[in-house]
Amino acid sequence: MSTQKLRKERIDRGIKVRSDGLYALMSLRELSYLTLPRFVLIAGMLSLPFLMPDMYWQRVISIVCIYAILALSFDFLAHYVGLVSLGGAFFIGTGGYVAGILNSYYGIPPVLTVPLAAIIGGAICTLMLLPCLPLKGVYFAIVTLMYPLFMARIIEAFDLFGGTDGLAGIDSFSSAFAEQYLVICTVLIFLFGLRRFVTTDMGLIFTAVMDNDQAVKASGINITKYKALAVFIASSAGCMAGACLTHIYMWSGISQFALDFSILPIAATVIGGAGTLAGPVLGCFILVPVSELLRDFGTLRIVFYASVLVGFILFRSDGIMVFMQRKYEQFERWTKI
Amino acid sequence: MLEAKDLMVFYENMLALNNISIKCDDNQIVGVFGANSAGKSTLMYALSGIMLDIQKKEDMAGGERITLTGDVLLQNRSIMDMKPSLRAKAGIILCPERRRLFKESSVLENLRIGGYLATRAEAKQTMEYVMEVFPALIKLKKRLGGFLSGGEQQMVAIGRALMAQPKILLLDEPLLGLSPFMQSTLIRGIKVIQEERNISVIISEQYARPVFPIVDYAYILENGAAVMEGTREELMDNPDVKAAYFGVS
Repeated sequence: MSTQKLRKERIDRGIKVRSDGLYALMSLRELSYLTLPRFVLIAGMLSLPFLMPDMYWQRVISIVCIYAILALSFDFLAHYVGLVSLGGAFFIGTGGYVAGILNSYYGIPPVLTVPLAAIIGGAICTLMLLPCLPLKGVYFAIVTLMYPLFMARIIEAFDLFGGTDGLAGIDSFSSAFAEQYLVICTVLIFLFGLRRFVTTDMGLIFTAVMDNDQAVKASGINITKYKALAVFIASSAGCMAGACLTHIYMWSGISQFALDFSILPIAATVIGGAGTLAGPVLGCFILVPVSELLRDFGTLRIVFYASVLVGFILFRSDGIMVFMQRKYEQFERWTKI
Repeated sequence: MLEAKDLMVFYENMLALNNISIKCDDNQIVGVFGANSAGKSTLMYALSGIMLDIQKKEDMAGGERITLTGDVLLQNRSIMDMKPSLRAKAGIILCPERRRLFKESSVLENLRIGGYLATRAEAKQTMEYVMEVFPALIKLKKRLGGFLSGGEQQMVAIGRALMAQPKILLLDEPLLGLSPFMQSTLIRGIKVIQEERNISVIISEQYARPVFPIVDYAYILENGAAVMEGTREELMDNPDVKAAYFGVS
């Protein structure tokens, strides 16, 4: 009895192989193959404020972008440096308060508070996380999870910066368009900047630290310094998002330390595709609007979230982005063995 | 007793095992020799069923697609779809490459974990037997797995595999990174175990010389295919084998 055995094989598309090399420069078709996905993303994001003239949905776009920045920073730390951070809320809260203080106490306009909050907030976060950087393992996750709770309680207990009422009366951005283009451009800059950054020499060191930190140490590289640098990059991104959030709501308060900011970016990363950087952004663009649509169901939203998350982990744990990228670059066919 | 027929394993489009047919009879020691990337570990994983587990995990995570074809027979019954845990119950026990001890557990605990499938009496008897074959372990009973030397770790790993009451013991590169003295100690131990426990052993190694004296039959793998096979004497006389696997020119 001879049964013909078949096997499904994955092959790179011809156009993908051609556009990998210099050939892409010589042909419009290959060039467009390369730029199409990036173009769709950039053009899509830039045209969103026009496509959604409704005030409510414009606000949703801003929130999506803020979560997207957080998800980017989580993905970068977790899958390119090997530090699992649960500190989205910590970054948002620190950045939010720094921007709020600068604006309401010193009268600095939003144009300056946002970049200042990124730098000052990033420095504060890095300094506070520095003690656990030489360690390997779950410590970083635990400490980053603990800090937002710690900060919120301190502000509450000592009645700092307006205590439980928060800082009200903060300046908003000059217009809704300015607000949205600021956050959209920030997402795009961080996305493409990080994608480029992880392929540089320094990005290679980060990846190596994740793989085997002892071997990196043996090569004479101070890994704590590099980890601190990575944390600074990620936390400044988060703090910048926090500063934008403060100016969007014209208020900063202890609810900016809420754990939503830590958990949603992780969910978005799982759904979008871990380690792809573009995936988490995509995940936020799916999760946040869906969660807005489900607002009528109240806390049952969480049930929906949890089921989507579990479903993705069970059936598509590579994430949407990896799946789509594979479809774009490869095709499948049956071959005889 | 254990037989692989036309076994093929693909990692995505890469052919890791190419039409391998090997056979291990009762009370036999079979050697599988080959260089790095020849497919020794893949063969061991396919025989012990761990490959099914790897395949499932890769599939769930959307990673490499692993394709397995051919057949693995235990006492002429196909076990190709059998889960690794059931294969272990049927007596196929793998002692994995690089030993994989439980580093945070003591030697005694490591052995006890291995005895999960054994009855209490069997476990007690085997434990004593392991100490008898590898007397070096007696003094180290309380030492944690991570603090043992390479040779001692390998002894514990073989002991742990024995605790599961194997009928066929698969040893994947048991001599990896050991001194020549330790190598000969272990090889003698393996021979003693095979004779006294009446089990079959499949042993894979890169360098054939230390293992060759105890094997009854041997296969030589190159790039995933079995290029040569024969009894010890047949292979010993083959000049190609001599040059490549014994370092004799």
